[in-house]
Parts: sequence; C-alpha cells; structure tokens
Amino acid sequence: MHNVAIKSKEVTLLEILDRVLNKGVVISGDVVISVADVDLIYLGLKVLLSSVETMEQLRGAPITGPMQEAR
Amino acid sequence: MIENQLVYLYCVTNEEPTLKKAEDLADDLYFVHHRGLCAVVRSVKENEFGEEDLKKNMADLEWVKTNATLHERIIEQVMRNMCVIPFKFGTLFNTDDSLKAMLEEYGDEFKAILGRLENKEERGVKIYCDVEKLKAFSINDESEILEIENEINGSSPGKAFFLEKKKAELLAQVTNRKINEYSQETFELLKELSFEARINRLLPKEVTEREDDMILNSAFLVGKDEVGDFINMVDTLKMHYENKGFFVDCTGPWPPYNFCGLSKQKVPNA
Repeated sequence: MHNVAIKSKEVTLLEILDRVLNKGVVISGDVVISVADVDLIYLGLKVLLSSVETMEQLRGAPITGPMQEAR
Repeated sequence: MIENQLVYLYCVTNEEPTLKKAEDLADDLYFVHHRGLCAVVRSVKENEFGEEDLKKNMADLEWVKTNATLHERIIEQVMRNMCVIPFKFGTLFNTDDSLKAMLEEYGDEFKAILGRLENKEERGVKIYCDVEKLKAFSINDESEILEIENEINGSSPGKAFFLEKKKAELLAQVTNRKINEYSQETFELLKELSFEARINRLLPKEVTEREDDMILNSAFLVGKDEVGDFINMVDTLKMHYENKGFFVDCTGPWPPYNFCGLSKQKVPNA
C-alpha cells in the first residue's frame, strides 16, 4: 500500500504548468499578474523543446466531448 | 541602492511545516503566522517579480520552467506532512503585513477548506485517444459498419463509392460516440470513488506533444484510505481501453490545486 503515495511516474513539465499556472487559489495580492497567455507559453515550450524540429501541421479540429470545463 | 523585496506566497497550512534542511529549495523559505494559519513564503526580488518584470519573465520559457517547477516542489515538500492550500503561480505581496491582512480577510474560509481537505489528496486523470486505432477497432465492433463493408464488396464501382462515403460518415459518428462514452464512463466511475471531481480544459496536441488526442482532462479529490481502490479502478480501465486506442494517464498525489475554490473569488484585473 505504501507505494501508492509515490508519484506514479516522472511527471512532465506540462502536468506541472497545467496546474501551477492554471489552478490554485487566486487572491488579489498586492502585485497583480496576469498569466492569461498560458497557451502562448505552452506553444513557446513546444518550440523550445522540439528545437529546430519541424512543426507538425495541425490535423483537423480537435475532438471535443459534450463535457464543459468545470471552472 | 537597496533592492526591494516582495513576498511570494506558495501555500497556506494549519501549522508550521518541518522542511528537510538538506533540500536546497528550503533555504530562503520562511513562514508568516496569522490567526492560527501558517503561510509558506519566500522573499523575492522586486526587479524579478514586480509587475513589469514578471510580465517580461513570463515570456522567458527557461525562467517559467525553473520557477513553476520550484513552486510545485516547495508545495510538495510541505504537503508531505500536512494539508495545504496551494496558491496560483505568482501570488505576491509587498510586505508580510499585507499578506497578514489577506489572511485576516480569508482566514475562516482557509480553515474551512483545510478542514475539508484533511486526509484527502488530488489525483489527475487524462485520457488520450488514437483515433485511427479506435476506428480500426470500431470497424469490427459495429455490425452496421460490417454490413456496409459486405455490401461494398458486392457492389458496382459507382455504388461502392457512395457506400464508402456512408461508411466513413458512420465510422466518424461511431468513434465520436465511443470517445464520449468512454470519457464519461471513466469520469463517472472515478467520481464514485472520490469526494469531488473536476473536468478541465482539453489541451491541444501542440501542448501535449503527443500523437493522440486528449479526450479527458480531469482531477479527483480522493480520500487517502480510498486511494488504493481508485488506482485499482484506473488500472482496470487502462486494461479495458488499451486495445481500443485509448491511453489512460494517472498522476499524483498533487497539491489540491483543483479543490481550493474560494466562495467569493476575487479575480485580478477583472
């Protein structure tokens, strides 16, 4: 049972960014920042990580389920 | 010139955590106590985290990587021993006193949230779908599609052309239906084993850097005693879905980023 407390595997940077930048309690601190351009950071990361590798063309529209984002 | 400092808030807990001294990241962390709560903070430079500089730094991917990872690691350190309320990246205060004023305002609510989170942890479940693989599976799984295929084999080229088109449409419908069914089924089954559950925005391929499509991005607040059952269910679903083109990815335990919503959410810049 003890091993269930350990992360199931090496967690990707994406998983961390998806939470740290998008979730967590939002309070109006004294210094207000807007991390609204998160998608741009992701895209930039993609460029960063794949370096010169040619970007794959977008293939078709993403499949979306009937469920909406919770918040 | 004296460099101005800001206070970066990572998380709020019920009591002061004991952090391993050996961890390099704990060096400049300190704690601010107020109203029976403990805020885990770090003193950061204004010329790095001030409003304008922060905006600039958010465009610097190496900087974002380093600091987002640090944010996560610090909170994970703290949550080893206790319940935490994780804050969003870049929650900054001018002074300890202004942080205390915030704790004064939200103290009761934070205590309520911490009480609710006791003995629970967040798990993330993402499902990806290899649509081509699912289509290949569906062709043999759906009698309606098999019938058209048989019909095509015995048809003239002209008729076969239209039947092929019909088959493709039907196949697209079937795969879409299956994607919805599987993602909903997974979500509902895991929700049954959780206290709370959330569905988040799907991330596009450019972000996930995967060949297959994300079809579910969800988070669950699971009781520590139920984690074993939860993981068993994930493993069962994994086995069940694998040959159909679905990949189930379960991560955690995470700080409860998805389960700390304030009732009177103040949105900056709103």
